[in-house]
Amino acid sequence: MTSAAINLRDLVILIADPSPYLGLLTQSMLRGFGATKVIDVRSSIVVMKTLTGQKVDILLCDARLPPHGGLNLTRAIRRNTSNENRTLPILVMCSDADVSTVKQARDAGANMVIAKPMSPSSLYDRLTWIAFNPRKFVDTATYFGPDRRFKIEGYPNGVGRRLGDKAVEIAEEIGPALAQSEIDNLLNLARGG
Amino acid sequence: MSKNPRARIFDVETDFQQKARRPGGVTREKAIRGAQAEIDQCKPEFIDWLDRELQALHVAIRQAEANTAALSLIDQASYHARQLRDVGSTMGYDLVTFVADNLCDILEAVRAGARYDNDSVDCHLDALALATQAPYKNLRADQLPELSQGLRRVFEHLKSLVADV
Repeated sequence: MTSAAINLRDLVILIADPSPYLGLLTQSMLRGFGATKVIDVRSSIVVMKTLTGQKVDILLCDARLPPHGGLNLTRAIRRNTSNENRTLPILVMCSDADVSTVKQARDAGANMVIAKPMSPSSLYDRLTWIAFNPRKFVDTATYFGPDRRFKIEGYPNGVGRRLGDKAVEIAEEIGPALAQSEIDNLLNLARGG
Repeated sequence: MSKNPRARIFDVETDFQQKARRPGGVTREKAIRGAQAEIDQCKPEFIDWLDRELQALHVAIRQAEANTAALSLIDQASYHARQLRDVGSTMGYDLVTFVADNLCDILEAVRAGARYDNDSVDCHLDALALATQAPYKNLRADQLPELSQGLRRVFEHLKSLVADV
């Protein structure tokens, strides 16, 4: 198995977690991965200030980040048309990574979700996935963010939960993305007969 | 097909993606070893943090008990329970994560309208105290089926109290 080695040296990584101890642990893991520039903040307000004040390469933000919540923060970053960080990779960290939360994070424009408690392997795999599998961006009246039509069939180079996991394949584009509200309308129509 | 004629799809390659793929990266195995070594360095301080966090949880629970209608007090207790859940497994304390996760479910149910039941919460505080001690601290929930199933039954019981109300 070949290895998709990730190089985090000199990349500016912004961690936004309400818990100082969790922030410290995430920093420790990133240092172990070779990261040299990590910023650790506690609120969405400080995230916005940091983003306007300096270059950030990736944001790791907690879904419950006070005061606005990590998903609202993600939405705000994506929807602000004058914001040069609109396409910033965003990894949302969730304590309750149920299907509903993951869908909400996806619809807010997150690149990926990671469940807490995090392990070094789960964090490394997600960073690698974001780095080695760039997704197209979709810009509609109701959504701006990575194309939501994707499926993980294994992390890069065969790293996955099952022996038979394949490399990631993203479907060919066949047209503009449907907005979530349009998908919901179609499903409601289908259910209503 | 989208009804929005202004939908636009375009390629994005961020600095993160370009730079993270530079030569000289850290392989998965080496990165995980490195991260684990960094985490291990945090372990001596973790014991103190765990004690402080358990104390803070106890205080928050007692305050919540005194005024179960105050959602902010339940939220404060939930915050400490979530911290324990989110850190436990990373530091090798899987049982702490399991018990704290169950307690989070209970507090969430209370927040959603379930009756606050002192016994249900207290047995979780006791289980948390146990989960931090040898020989339990390095065990997983599936290695203690009676404890883990018992706590899940407590949660199910609490949910049935919701139905009674």
